[in-house]
Amino acid sequence: MLWKDKYELGVSQIDAQHKELFRRVESFMQTSRSAGNWEEKVPKLNETLEFMKTYVVEHFRDEEEYQKSICYPGYEAHKQIHTGMVNYVLEVSKQYEDSNFNEQLMQQFGGKLLAWLINHVAAEDQRIADYAIKKGVGGNGR
Amino acid sequence: MVDNLYKAFVDATHNVFHLMLDLSDISDHPADEFQCDDAVDIAIPIVGDLEGDVIYRFPVTTSLNMVSIMSGMQVEEVDAFVTSAISEIANIISGNVLTVLSTNEMTCDLLPPVQRQPDENKEYELKTSCCIQTTIGLVCLDIRLNRVKANHV
Repeated sequence: MLWKDKYELGVSQIDAQHKELFRRVESFMQTSRSAGNWEEKVPKLNETLEFMKTYVVEHFRDEEEYQKSICYPGYEAHKQIHTGMVNYVLEVSKQYEDSNFNEQLMQQFGGKLLAWLINHVAAEDQRIADYAIKKGVGGNGR
Repeated sequence: MVDNLYKAFVDATHNVFHLMLDLSDISDHPADEFQCDDAVDIAIPIVGDLEGDVIYRFPVTTSLNMVSIMSGMQVEEVDAFVTSAISEIANIISGNVLTVLSTNEMTCDLLPPVQRQPDENKEYELKTSCCIQTTIGLVCLDIRLNRVKANHV
């Protein structure tokens, strides 16, 4: 399982969304790296990719709302990171469709997404939790 | 300044490996030359007040171990997935160093990672390299930069 308890921020809505993102990325990797014909994997991968395009935007929006609610000083910089990732996902999706579902593109996407997500949740997002705890507004008893 | 750059990259690598790969037993030493035939070289081009490349040399075994830890899956060959994942790690380490440099009023940006070896024909004012030893293998960083303006690092 990709998710680790140490990634929890202590904000139930955000933690639930993070867990869902990790679950989807794991499923994406398992499908894309499984043995078998690429064409047979494409429908499931496309489904996950479509889900990610919507869910990532929703999650980032909710997380940014939470940051604003606690007056997180790194809000603008964090929002820029989110925007960069959304643009990347949209750009790769377009390239993937234009290439008629090229496997190499999706393998590259999976590798970057995996490392990006782990670092973002384990490092960038933890700074939000640290700030919330410091200010006494952390949730879930943290 | 070379010493500060060396330390900044070593510290950032240490932190990222600890955070992302749960590695804590990490040591480093300067390296004039890093001999490893079977490795993936990821160049991170830097532009701005400093310009040049930082080359991350990941031996194949280290690359596979890193991606196996991150993915929770057995990874047995270096393919587009592995290269992309370790490129992103090199990108993250370099980005963290630039954040440190920005506190010294030095503004730099990263260009996207590229899989290539160092250009031995170019001259660099700031040149250093280090080997980082972990329980899953070695990683070598080759830092090759030129100063574009006077700074405080």
